[in-house]
Amino acid sequence: MLDAPVRPLVVALPKGRVLDQALHALQAAGLDLALQDDARLLRHESAGGTILVMRNGDVPTYVDLGVADVGVVGKDVLLESGRRVYEPVDLGFAKCRMSLIRPSGARGTITRVASKYPRIATRYLASIGSSAEVVPLKGNVELACIGGLADAVVDLVETGSTLTANDLEEVDVILASSARFIVNRAALKLRAGELKPLIERLRAAS
Amino acid sequence: MSAALPEGVRASLPARARARHGWRDALTHLYASWGYQPVDLPALERYDPNHPRAAQAFKLTDRDGGLLALRSDMTPAVARLVQRTYPHLLDPEEAQRPVRLQVAGTVWQAIDPEVTRTREFTQVGVEFIGVRDPRADAELIHLARESIRLVGLRPRVEVGNPGFVKALMDEADVPEAARERLADAIDRKDVGDVRTVLEAAGVPEARGASLLATPDLYGATHLLRDAERLATGEASSAALAYLAGTLAEFDDESELLLDLGMARRLSYYTGLTFRAYTLDYGQPLLGGGRYDGALLPYAAGFSMGLERLESALALGASEPPPARVLSLDDDAAQRLRRAGIAVARAIHADPQAAHEEAKRLAIPWVLSGGALTRTPGIPVSDEEADLEREDAERERAHLESILADANA
Repeated sequence: MLDAPVRPLVVALPKGRVLDQALHALQAAGLDLALQDDARLLRHESAGGTILVMRNGDVPTYVDLGVADVGVVGKDVLLESGRRVYEPVDLGFAKCRMSLIRPSGARGTITRVASKYPRIATRYLASIGSSAEVVPLKGNVELACIGGLADAVVDLVETGSTLTANDLEEVDVILASSARFIVNRAALKLRAGELKPLIERLRAAS
Repeated sequence: MSAALPEGVRASLPARARARHGWRDALTHLYASWGYQPVDLPALERYDPNHPRAAQAFKLTDRDGGLLALRSDMTPAVARLVQRTYPHLLDPEEAQRPVRLQVAGTVWQAIDPEVTRTREFTQVGVEFIGVRDPRADAELIHLARESIRLVGLRPRVEVGNPGFVKALMDEADVPEAARERLADAIDRKDVGDVRTVLEAAGVPEARGASLLATPDLYGATHLLRDAERLATGEASSAALAYLAGTLAEFDDESELLLDLGMARRLSYYTGLTFRAYTLDYGQPLLGGGRYDGALLPYAAGFSMGLERLESALALGASEPPPARVLSLDDDAAQRLRRAGIAVARAIHADPQAAHEEAKRLAIPWVLSGGALTRTPGIPVSDEEADLEREDAERERAHLESILADANA
């Protein structure tokens, strides 16, 4: 028989809105995990494992390099990271779509696209045969469109109200995103005994 | 002149360098004891756009303008050597004289460097060329497991057969255009995406059922029996039978794992592939497999990166002293050196100054006039006081016995 892994399960979770939902899903699937009541803590130990709380863009890095065994992160962030991890469960929450957005009524050729997701934007533009250049931005990309830095943006759309308020329109949906349960490639195999049933329960619940 | 190193390379200080030389020697011996003969290969190659890692090659320009590349992978380099030197192995009918080769050397890959991925690293590995047989694959998997054990880690070797996924795709008539996306979804174990791709490609549910099950076919080796029910034709059955034949060569399968959802590089790997892990380390330490037809008619092998081992073993916290003994007595020093003890020659001929010198260099013993003395303030080991005293007594007795022996 395989001997039990030496260290407790390490779980990477993103700060913000998704944190509670992710934790809830894992608890419902039987993981004995909890956050201590101190907002400054970055590392939370419980009987069922250790939670590391981080910026969502860092979750794929921690899991791919094996510092964390598993994690929860949006498909959009995962694709943008380019990391090769296992993604066995679509948890179904934190739904949003990534779209190409232009000023309402704009029709001409797109030459410059601003995005917080330069990798996804570049791949999308290549797939539609566009030679537009991508401007990577950190902040509010809609501003790039309004201010004239770019003639289109690639960004997340949840309700679309920001777009309407700024006289922008969604012209193409690039991908539908939702939260994924991701697993380090070595950990899935070395801890198959505990992770396989966990994955089954997460799938059954989502 | 700039003292900065290029991105993604690093120098090894003595603790790491010593560990690495030790592993390399031990692995070389292990492979030699199984009949794998060493070959040395040039690090400078002609650039070949069809090389499996052409996109990651560091390129150089030759004097005549020809394009050269730094060696980026040992396996194609060995394959090329075999193509030039062992023409009988190029004939698929001639399987009577297979060759077993081992290689070790630096390779360079122009990739984005990361914590566990440098752009210059040392590959050590073996290639078993000219035969396709489960016994050959089992030998390689066994050697992979022994390689990990040899460096002091507990091995887990995961075995898969991308040929199984490929056969299932053929048997389910998956359209060519959908195969790359399907293989990618299977390889990520994204069952939802596998379903989406199959639907989009118009594969009926019943025909795609086995493909949909492949991402979850991982775990202990008894899984193979579940997988046999999923075979949908001759080729997929044969892929599983080959795997079963290979596993049958092992009396103890407890350190082996299966993953029948391996689906990367389907056109390169044509038979079994395997990766070795160790507990609680999130990266593979070794990888290999069978690549018949890709470079040679029949060939399989594996290689491991020594830099990855260093990171798995979390080495390099403390630097060892350059020698155990600092000597003012050349004759006695020679006797210790012959017995394998590292002895440095003192710069200062005066015993008092030599003790100061030993202290600065953290060398625990001083040898003068045939007698050993402890260097004040330099422990012989990292142990607590009592244990350190025991270690010191043991080492003194050992060194003195060598000195006495040679006197006799």
